[in-house]
Amino acid sequence: MGKSRIIALCGKGGVGKTSVSALLVRCLAGREGRKVLAIDADPSAGLAASLGVRVKKSVDDIRKDLVSRLTHGRRTADPETVRALDYELFDALSEGDGFALLSIGRPEDEGCFCRVNSLLKDIICDLASGFDYVLIDGEAGIEQINRRVMKEVDDLIILSDTSVKGITVARAISKVARENRAVDCRTIGLVLNRVRGKEEVRRISGDIDLDMYGWIPEDDSIREFDLQGRPLVSLPRESPANRVVERLASMFAD
Amino acid sequence: MELFSTHIARVRKFMEERRDVRTFRAFPSRPWPEGGGRDVVLMGDTGVELGGPETESYSLILWTENSSLVNKDTISLIGPELAEAGSRSIAFGRIVILSIEGFTEENTFRRCREMEQMRFLLDLKGFMIRAVPQFQREWSRVSRDALSRGFSLSVLGSSLMRLFRELDYVTGSEIIFITENEDAIRKIRSLTGDTARIIAAMNKMAEEMSFDCSECEYRDVCDEAEDLRRMRDACIGNAARR
Repeated sequence: MGKSRIIALCGKGGVGKTSVSALLVRCLAGREGRKVLAIDADPSAGLAASLGVRVKKSVDDIRKDLVSRLTHGRRTADPETVRALDYELFDALSEGDGFALLSIGRPEDEGCFCRVNSLLKDIICDLASGFDYVLIDGEAGIEQINRRVMKEVDDLIILSDTSVKGITVARAISKVARENRAVDCRTIGLVLNRVRGKEEVRRISGDIDLDMYGWIPEDDSIREFDLQGRPLVSLPRESPANRVVERLASMFAD
Repeated sequence: MELFSTHIARVRKFMEERRDVRTFRAFPSRPWPEGGGRDVVLMGDTGVELGGPETESYSLILWTENSSLVNKDTISLIGPELAEAGSRSIAFGRIVILSIEGFTEENTFRRCREMEQMRFLLDLKGFMIRAVPQFQREWSRVSRDALSRGFSLSVLGSSLMRLFRELDYVTGSEIIFITENEDAIRKIRSLTGDTARIIAAMNKMAEEMSFDCSECEYRDVCDEAEDLRRMRDACIGNAARR
């Protein structure tokens, strides 16, 4: 059995990362009994609602508990502690149909307890290796993925709407990923969301140095689901957005 | 080195008081297929969950140099086999009794840790294990598919025994599974749970530089176990040489 395929989604706030992540999770999990680990690395923590599950505990809760134990003299790296953290992380998973969600929680204070973060990252990587796919719903800055989740991903999807601001952030993320190597990734590509016509796609793709993985049309059904607070995993399969995400999932599934 | 012979006796007494102990010879069939390192079993795929966070679980390894205390290659079961479990989630206890040789004050800690970690080397298709060694908790899941293909506690026990055989200081092994109910797990924990403090005392003396027994929370444990005191003296000797 091969290694897990790790896909991360980044982009400016409000471009629909969580919605697209939820649909991608559903599409990947539906493939021949494959298992997906969804990691919500966005502090706004909306992925659980979109996937229709509840978060029991976040990685940050576990981190705080570990920090508290460390201040009482426990070591971090002994095998018993590592196994106990692995147990706690598994217990923190919210499980759905073919997937499990791990919520990272709110960012910790800057610069504190690097060894704890490092240990937790190692354990998350170990946990991830038990799944076929890992899908990380990130925030705008990919540095956070490196610092709080994992250092290497296979595919970085930069999601943007068609606004100038969204595309500007997409360029910035791409630059940081390529030049500063904030996260090691094999492929980087752009997905446009809430597109209102092919002309928008042509204009943007001619103006940005990124592979275009696909574009998702404005889809009223997503807006309705959001307004009603319904999980996106129950969005009809034939909805325009879901059909595009199915194609995206096919790109990464093989 | 004999730290657990009284605990083995307590386990025997616990078993003698039960009328429903079933015993099997280990290694009845071919080894179970490997999982390829992809061990996660999600709840939706789970046939039976053993010792999950919402129920009782207990996991213990006892060892002795007195091989007559170990019923080699024997698996005992108190409670239902996996296929007979009436519930998707059951309380779970597992006691491994090993006959060992060549333990000294210097190598006991390392070997204990090695034996404790062996279960995590189990790579069985459709089986997942998580554990908190400090609290002697163990949580595992068997997939529906594995269950339908015949995965059983006999398979699990035999697989674990095969791993222990790889340790050259282990000369024999026996496993007791308890799946009856939470009360049975609580009972065996109450009889043998003080082993956790013996292991914790060993961990502490192996990992800490201070040997001030007047300040130590495990002083009572060492006071009762001569072999632990000998290990501590060996640690003090090693620290002095450093």
